[in-house]
Amino acid sequence: MTSNRYVYGIVDGDPVEFETDAVAGADQVYTISHRRLGAVVSDIDTTDPEETDEDAQRHDDVLREIMDERERAIVPMQFGMSFESDRTLKNVLRGARPAFRRAMNDIEGRIELGLKIVREEDADVDDEAIEAAVDDELEPIAAQSVPNDLFSDRLVLNRSYLVDREDREAFDEAVARLEGDEAHDHEDLTFRYTGPFAPYSFVDVEIGAQR
Amino acid sequence: MFVLDDLLFRPIVGIVDTLHTMALNELYDLEALEDELKENQLLYEIGERSEEEYRRRKEELEAEIEIAQEVHERLSSGRVEVKS
Repeated sequence: MTSNRYVYGIVDGDPVEFETDAVAGADQVYTISHRRLGAVVSDIDTTDPEETDEDAQRHDDVLREIMDERERAIVPMQFGMSFESDRTLKNVLRGARPAFRRAMNDIEGRIELGLKIVREEDADVDDEAIEAAVDDELEPIAAQSVPNDLFSDRLVLNRSYLVDREDREAFDEAVARLEGDEAHDHEDLTFRYTGPFAPYSFVDVEIGAQR
Repeated sequence: MFVLDDLLFRPIVGIVDTLHTMALNELYDLEALEDELKENQLLYEIGERSEEEYRRRKEELEAEIEIAQEVHERLSSGRVEVKS
């Protein structure tokens, strides 16, 4: 039996355990704890898992199950974190404890939402005015936000928002208002509003090379 | 004469080498390919690209990215030879 552990994220307090379709064919997700912090893991036979679309989806599904079904805060790990033993993993939990605690405080009770605004091909739109309008509507509601890469020249805006669960509805409404706002060439714009996600964009925990 | 030849020759090899590396970098622009992969996904998500077209392009781009990664690994390890 393998002793390698694939990590989804870090929880505080009670361990999480359930059966599911997990990464790399595992069927059980459970928790390895060091004091109050616990790493949610499944068994895996490698420390260098290949990123397939299916496994990336499973990684995300496990995080969502914990956040949505169990309403627990989890500091999400990016896809692909795998450790060679429980001992190395506990060392990481111990070493990065202050960082995990800080991240936990930031994300507790909050979800991540994403907004991309795409212009029609060759459409001439006022990027700055659109950005200002979006900021006016959304920034007051969001707890935090970060800009993301404009990886296509069709993208006018690409931002992630960290939003309190209780402000979700207000945020949805604000996005709908923006989408219907005729002042901003909305015929030439397509909105892509996504989420909720585990708050990947708002945790910045570096895990050392001691995997 | 050997010393002189060598000194004269060396800078030219250096320039050719650099130009070759630059050309390879441009031809196998990993970042541009990755951006295009993300754009392909986005255009599919907003309904501008059909599923068939999206999958076809995704496969093409992933294959190109794999080649580009290999070229970059070889470049950084100096295993790409300059042939004239």
